[in-house]
Amino acid sequence: MIGSSARRTPLTFVVHLSVLLLVVLWTLPTAGLLISSLRDKDQIAVSGWWTALAPSHQNAVYRAPPPDAQVEENGRHVIRGNVFDGGNGTVSAFGPSVQTPDEFKAGETATLSNGVAMTVAENGDFTISSTEPMKGRRGERIFYTSSVPPQFTLDNYREVLSAQGLGRSFINSLTVAIPSTVIPILIAAFAAYALAWMKFPGRAILIALVVGLLVVPLQMSLIPLLRLYNDIGAQFGVTPKGYVGIWLAHTGFGLPLAIYLLRNYIAGLPKEIIESARVDGASDFDIFVKIVLPLSFPALASFAIFQFLWTWNDLLVALVFLGSRDDQLVLTGRLVNLLGSRGGNWEILTASAFITIIVPLIVFFSLQRFLVRGLLAGSVKGG
Amino acid sequence: MRKTFLFGVAAALLCTVSTHAADLKFKPGEEQRFNWKSYEDFKAGHDLKGQTLTVFGPWRGEDETLFQSIAAYFEDATGAKLEYSSSENYEQQIVIDTQAGSPPNIAILPQPGLIADLASKGLLTPLGDETKKFVQDNYAAGDSWVQLGEYKGKDGQEQFFAFPYKADVKSLVWYSPENFEDAGYEIPQTMEELKALTEKIVADGGTPWCIGLGSGGATGWPASDWVEDLMLRTAPPETYDKWVTDEIPFNDPAVVNAIDEFGWFAKNPKFVAGGTAAVVTTDFRESPDGLFSLPPKCYMHHQAQFISSFFPKGTELGVDADFFYFPPYAGKDLGKPVLGAGTLAMITKDSPAAKAFIDFLKTPIAHELWMAQSGFLTPYKAANPDAYANDTLKKQGKILLEATTFRFDGSDLMPGKIGAGAFWTAMVDFVGGKSAEDAAKEVQSSWDAIK
Amino acid sequence: MQQLLFALFTMIVGVAACAAYFIVSNWILDRIFPSKSRSGAVASRNLRITNMIRPWLFLAPALLALTVYLLYPVIESAWLSFHGKDGRQFVGLGNYRWMINDGEFRQSILNNFLWLLIVPAAATFFGLIVAALTDRIWWGNIAKSLIFMPMAISFVGASVIWKFVYDYRAEGTEQIGILNAIVTWFGGAPEAWITLPFWNNIFLMVILIWIQTGFAMVILSAALRGIPEETIEAAVIDGASGLQIFFKIMIPQIWGTIAVVWTTITILVLKVFDIVLAMTNGQWNTQVLANLMFNWMFRGGGDFGRGATIAMIIMMLVIPIMIWNIRNAAKEMEGR
Repeated sequence: MIGSSARRTPLTFVVHLSVLLLVVLWTLPTAGLLISSLRDKDQIAVSGWWTALAPSHQNAVYRAPPPDAQVEENGRHVIRGNVFDGGNGTVSAFGPSVQTPDEFKAGETATLSNGVAMTVAENGDFTISSTEPMKGRRGERIFYTSSVPPQFTLDNYREVLSAQGLGRSFINSLTVAIPSTVIPILIAAFAAYALAWMKFPGRAILIALVVGLLVVPLQMSLIPLLRLYNDIGAQFGVTPKGYVGIWLAHTGFGLPLAIYLLRNYIAGLPKEIIESARVDGASDFDIFVKIVLPLSFPALASFAIFQFLWTWNDLLVALVFLGSRDDQLVLTGRLVNLLGSRGGNWEILTASAFITIIVPLIVFFSLQRFLVRGLLAGSVKGG
Repeated sequence: MRKTFLFGVAAALLCTVSTHAADLKFKPGEEQRFNWKSYEDFKAGHDLKGQTLTVFGPWRGEDETLFQSIAAYFEDATGAKLEYSSSENYEQQIVIDTQAGSPPNIAILPQPGLIADLASKGLLTPLGDETKKFVQDNYAAGDSWVQLGEYKGKDGQEQFFAFPYKADVKSLVWYSPENFEDAGYEIPQTMEELKALTEKIVADGGTPWCIGLGSGGATGWPASDWVEDLMLRTAPPETYDKWVTDEIPFNDPAVVNAIDEFGWFAKNPKFVAGGTAAVVTTDFRESPDGLFSLPPKCYMHHQAQFISSFFPKGTELGVDADFFYFPPYAGKDLGKPVLGAGTLAMITKDSPAAKAFIDFLKTPIAHELWMAQSGFLTPYKAANPDAYANDTLKKQGKILLEATTFRFDGSDLMPGKIGAGAFWTAMVDFVGGKSAEDAAKEVQSSWDAIK
Repeated sequence: MQQLLFALFTMIVGVAACAAYFIVSNWILDRIFPSKSRSGAVASRNLRITNMIRPWLFLAPALLALTVYLLYPVIESAWLSFHGKDGRQFVGLGNYRWMINDGEFRQSILNNFLWLLIVPAAATFFGLIVAALTDRIWWGNIAKSLIFMPMAISFVGASVIWKFVYDYRAEGTEQIGILNAIVTWFGGAPEAWITLPFWNNIFLMVILIWIQTGFAMVILSAALRGIPEETIEAAVIDGASGLQIFFKIMIPQIWGTIAVVWTTITILVLKVFDIVLAMTNGQWNTQVLANLMFNWMFRGGGDFGRGATIAMIIMMLVIPIMIWNIRNAAKEMEGR
């Protein structure tokens, strides 16, 4: 409805344009990642991802078959082949030595120091010939400049998806993330309501405390908490590392923000609704469950999105409280382990980034419809 | 609806999971190159049925698979179950786990600095004099290795805590044999020749070196290897030992000289591909690519053996790429020093299985089985060099066995704050333009601050 | 399959146990002190008692979790900050004294202030713009999802993304970082962005802004949608333009939420370390407090005392925000 009024103003054009600009700016880096994830491993670090969309000129080397492969034709000893091995490409220049890889144009004949003649045609066919039989165990190296059409591959994804134990890690991640999202929301919603609408001594201090605890660095609490877990585990003879432990940990770490965001939202609900319900004799529990909770859906949904994201993408808390054994690994841990001990395989990083992003995006899209306008307005009218 | 969908996906993925079978890669008794007798002896001496051994190590990905293949033999011989785990932040996690009181039985770590820290907090179990003597007698340059396993415990007493298993050689220069051949270059046998070759390549219009110090949060570390390697070639090993323990200051003339030696290579824009600005920002994993680009961006690359796994796909070692020993000065009589690194195994929670695991590492077979696969070198003299999977490994293993001096990567020996911090940062500053003297002084003042 | 069932089962039990607590505890409270069917004095007395107890029933799980998971570690850290390397030897204010004289610490706190100044403002600003503008266009949801994406990308992914932006190659060779590609395309010389003094801080901040805009957008867009339609309809009837509606009606209505978003991002900035860790690890003068703490505790520092001391400073920096929030809450309460 603002839309309908705005559509008539010249502002609309500016709005579309500026949103487009922001979206492009924000997506550009991610687009780079997406394209890189579809590229060949060796290409990622050699040329910019944007060049992957256009045919590229590249220098390459082809090793011709060794002299054993030579055949005699009209008194000359010849080795034939194709530098693309049957693939596509166009050779623009070639050369016999690494110092001058583009000395000759395609189709020309180069004469090597040992009297061997070499020709490379545009389609990659090459002929190496000599009057004397060629010797040696290695084939000649042919350096060539070619233009290659854009090439994309799903190999990176295949490699990531075929990782051992990925399915199990996927389930582990879900088992960690779903309760770690729902439990803190439930607890925080009740607390937020109490802090927003109930009168009791010490409320202001508790609010300040929640804000203060927002800032506690997670790393600080890991050692004392794990020690506590171990003590409790030893006391009751149970293993200290398990799902309940990690749910509670994520709950604890997520609570301050949940309470803070939800309290702000719930405190902003129209006073009249809550007061009229109180006059009707409803208890706070009823008010909360029947009125406040439905009205807070947008806030609950938006926090749920974030909490889910954090728990899904978390690695540290999972490693500490769940463990790093093969059957305990969460998805992030599994993918990081794929990178190997030196952690440099970008092709795996890029592909796994897009595999992990799928679930959070599903959550985002499915919860987005709760962020609709009018929920509040409608109920005000009704109440 | 959403949940059903998610579980559908999950179930589909679950089907791809296969069980991890502990197969033995090489059948016991087959192939002469393996010392199966040591395996049978170990098997006869240890029965740990029903026990579980937890091992925490730095190996992930391919390396993890390799270690699992060795672990299978331990399981087969003892009947115990070996649970291996690792993590990207293994340094952090081992600190958390040991401090909180839930350590693994065995921790395998590549950082002596971290081990010293754990030892001083009383979190490690001493391995005893017998094991110490074993290393001394059976490892090439045994004293160097023993020194590496000894740390001060909680009571301040020096004891043998860590058993070296798996070594890396860092004193290597990688090159492309064919590029050398095409240009008519010879492999230098002395540092003087290496420097002359560097200048000759420039005179021929080429660029001799590819140096890349970039490594995200650890940027600068490849430079520390350079400096350490040059330090061993310009000063006696005793000076090196004093340097890494801060008995001589970081800005001692010997150290400053080694830094300047590195500067000779790295700070001359004509000597390095891309000029000095590229040195700091090029990622170490990418920097060897210059050897294989067309035309070559550089002819030589100084890096440890592991770098070969970052060479472009299809690079054949020995044909497309090879290495030579980073040579010592002919004019200085310092023998054949080798800079290296390695991983050390220690007991973080004692149990019979943990002790048995250390015993297992003393058998030649525990070394040979990994040698026969990839990425494993050992200074263990009883391990058969013929077990190495290929000539490249064998050649590296030979460097290790022939070393007159072996010194561990100094940045790993220094306190973490220095060796994995101030030193790297100072090298970045040094390449960026600071003088060697100033850069070294900076490191020393950080070192003073943590005392 | 077994694991799937187990996962499902534990999930349901976990969530149900939590919900059951609230339902049962409130039910018991109403049973013990019924106020409905009783009359007169008893009912009003019971009502008073339940009103006194109920807030604590609502708060109890939250308070318990906060105490165990956050308050207890804070107290432990405070204790550690007065102790030496191994956490046993009492050193008094030694760690604090060391810190004030430490150059790296001073550098970090300076950088942190820079972050605090720029990141929350920029992220909130862009978030608000996107939230408001996407409301008016038909492809708004698509735009929102795209801007939200950075939030959903795992951290390892994000660090690679930005490598492809800031990467530097020597002049004359092909650039794989898009920023340098643009610069060279316009004829400039490539720069090693993350080593540029001072500006490298800004380049790191851009990453956090890029991520956090999605957060600001989602929260603010929920708030914008909470504005009663009547209010806006009235303004439209009065002939207000889009811009006027935005500044005179929408902004004041959601002012509280803007403040909340700002606060949240400010606090997040105090804790930021993974970006710095992955991109520079504090080299080239980009150190920040949280990463410094991390270095001292885990990455070779092994000094829990100093790590805890830096953590205490981070926590102290939040005090002004706490005070401001107490005041706000008090103001809000006056009307009730």
